[in-house]
Amino acid sequence: MKRSTDRILTTHVGSLPRPDDLVGLYRDDAPDQKLLPRLRSAIDEVVRQQVQAGIDIVNDGEFGKAMRNAMDFGAWWSYVYPRLAGYELREEEKTKGRGAWTFGSKERKEFAEFYAAEASAAATASQGGTSTARLYGLTCAAPVKYVGHGALKRDIDNLAAAVRSAGVEEAFMTAVSPATLQILPNAYYKNAEEYTWALAEAIAEEYKAIVDAGFILQIDDPALVDIYDWWFSMNDDLSGFRKWAAFQVEAVNHALEGIPEDRVRFHICWGSWHGPHKGDVGLKDVVDLLLRVKAQAYVIEAGNVRHEHEWKVWQTTKLPEGKLLIPGVVSHATNVLEHPELVADRLIRFAEVVGRENIIAGTDCGLGGRVHPQIAWAKLESLSAGAKLATKELWS
Amino acid sequence: MRHSTERILTTHAGSLSRPPDLIALGKSIAVGETKSDDPAYARILAAAVADVVRKQRELGVDIPDDGEFGKPVGGSYDYGAWWNYAFARMSGFSPAGSPAAAAHETQHKKSGVADVALTSYANRRDWQKFSEFYQDPESSGSLMGSAARRPVGRPACTGPIKYTGQAALQADIANLKNALAATGAEEGFMCSIGPGSFARGVDLYYKTEEEFLFASADAMHEEYKAIVDAGIVLQIDDPSLPDNWDMINPEPPLREFKKFEQLRMEALNHALRGLPPDRIRFHICWGSWHGPHTTDIPLQHIVDLVLSVNAGAYSVEAGNVRHEHEWRVWQDVKLPDGKLLIPGVVSHATNIVEHPQVVADRIVRYAKIVGRENVIAGTDCGLGGRIHPQIAWAKLQALADGAALATKELWG
Repeated sequence: MKRSTDRILTTHVGSLPRPDDLVGLYRDDAPDQKLLPRLRSAIDEVVRQQVQAGIDIVNDGEFGKAMRNAMDFGAWWSYVYPRLAGYELREEEKTKGRGAWTFGSKERKEFAEFYAAEASAAATASQGGTSTARLYGLTCAAPVKYVGHGALKRDIDNLAAAVRSAGVEEAFMTAVSPATLQILPNAYYKNAEEYTWALAEAIAEEYKAIVDAGFILQIDDPALVDIYDWWFSMNDDLSGFRKWAAFQVEAVNHALEGIPEDRVRFHICWGSWHGPHKGDVGLKDVVDLLLRVKAQAYVIEAGNVRHEHEWKVWQTTKLPEGKLLIPGVVSHATNVLEHPELVADRLIRFAEVVGRENIIAGTDCGLGGRVHPQIAWAKLESLSAGAKLATKELWS
Repeated sequence: MRHSTERILTTHAGSLSRPPDLIALGKSIAVGETKSDDPAYARILAAAVADVVRKQRELGVDIPDDGEFGKPVGGSYDYGAWWNYAFARMSGFSPAGSPAAAAHETQHKKSGVADVALTSYANRRDWQKFSEFYQDPESSGSLMGSAARRPVGRPACTGPIKYTGQAALQADIANLKNALAATGAEEGFMCSIGPGSFARGVDLYYKTEEEFLFASADAMHEEYKAIVDAGIVLQIDDPSLPDNWDMINPEPPLREFKKFEQLRMEALNHALRGLPPDRIRFHICWGSWHGPHTTDIPLQHIVDLVLSVNAGAYSVEAGNVRHEHEWRVWQDVKLPDGKLLIPGVVSHATNIVEHPQVVADRIVRYAKIVGRENVIAGTDCGLGGRIHPQIAWAKLQALADGAALATKELWG
């Protein structure tokens, strides 16, 4: 994995704004002969655009993961269900909607009026249905099996071709974590542990294929922190949460068996919706578990007002030798564009704690589907402008 | 004016979330269905001010205001009450939508080098750079849309300006004083628009821009004086100082812009004549809509103009990603002795509620430069009408919690 040996490198978390016509093709469930050529050209374009914006470690913008609306932030995990056998639609779960996935959230209780207003605005805005809404009712009813080889190969080929033609040295591809996958209800396995283990073994195929193709594998695991709010917050059950999270780390490590650590980066964030996030569990409460994940780099939300102060966690928790930190230094959480000097300040703060060669400048979460495309691209430009300023200060 | 002598005090920039009954009445007044001197309105307003002062005190706000509740809004998302309230308190204007005003509403005044002029919203430079975003009704709300829906536009000056708002002003003052007394708050503040921000509209009466500006200043003087005379700290809202930069298209030479703004600060000081600086705070921000703000002028270019205002405290947006790094300006520019800085340490620019530790870190950064006793924790801009009420209140709570953490760190 590349590191910031002579300057601060830049990357991002994955999702980038899809062109309108690509969103339209997904929304209409267009046939392959229409979708595939456009997907390939769109990935070519988005890789070139990243290079132009000054991004060193690029990806396919997650374009192979279907986004069905301009504002639709669930594609990072909804993409995988068509790639898994073992799920069926159950009407009784469908009527519960999102409610089927939570045991109650303190944050949603405290800010009930806000969330109700948001839900009604979102319903109006996304008349085509978001990618996540398509998951309502999906239930595990048979052994889970990875069957997505075709779609995965398509994504790998598209990124490989785009990277080749743009002359990029290193690229990454995202894949979802077992912890996230088990949010959908289980009616087949005896218990949650068995379910998670089976999911880990299924998704391992995807992990391996990405690494074998020569890409950096990024595992997206917001669940590792945001499940606190969804499942454990009502009882302030931090120890129950930590027990749960420790098992998730074992599961993801099981899925990573045989994969070299230096080809893996691991992303956590606290969920990318534009809410108060007052109920987010602190990084300090999970950082020890996070560091058990067999990845070389940790990609962590750190560029918004709920988590910005957490750079201090690294003053007391040592980043192990050889590991990399990819903090979010620009964020989807505000339309305001980060000033490059602020981006530089944030990077320098991290560099002073863990060493300049051990950080790469990143984003809080994917920018696609979460802010307007014009703002998303401007934020990537701010990111690279800030990294340049930081480089100047750190290598001068 | 209170200083943070024993602990970090808290305040905010003015606007707070109105209760639904007051919003409904505001709308009804705006379209002329209810008269502004309707006794029912007066009753509901007084009760709402009493509630909002109590609420601020409960959340830990040391220096509260009336939430700007006496400045009517046209809906729950409406960030323009801070300026358009003033037209109802002046004679000499033809209402928005009248032929005189409408003819000039959207006109693009292109600036020449030596003749700096303010352009229309759609011709602002940030707007033009991000026009797809600003015009997209489905993008996560720039708030510009809510302004367009508002029934109140900008009136045109068509006669001599005279302050006629004594009754509304005295009602606001009485409401706030009663509420402060009821909660035992030592100090309260009230917002009033600066002449530079007020006199941005169309003038068809005065011979020169300067005359228009100083006539506005003379009229506003009455409001300023009445607030100070009532024992309330006067906050001058003057976002136009930084915000005009984006409204001048093409980008003017800095020197010309500063000349343009210097005249406005002179007009403000003229309006503040005879009033003790120690009872006045001066608020600037770069406009509170949820846009990229890439063409905001850096604070370092205008800080001398800010400090030229005869005020005892300066309230400056500093709690969002475009301006957070500007605390460094105060390393190079000395805050004059005896003056206070009220940096924004929580912001309307994101729905995320600031972590109290983030708030504390921001406060401590300022305290280390200008002295802990010279910092009061504030907000970037008014929270009312810009974010959901539940989030607005949670942000004031985060402000107070963060100030308590900072106090602990700074006083040991």
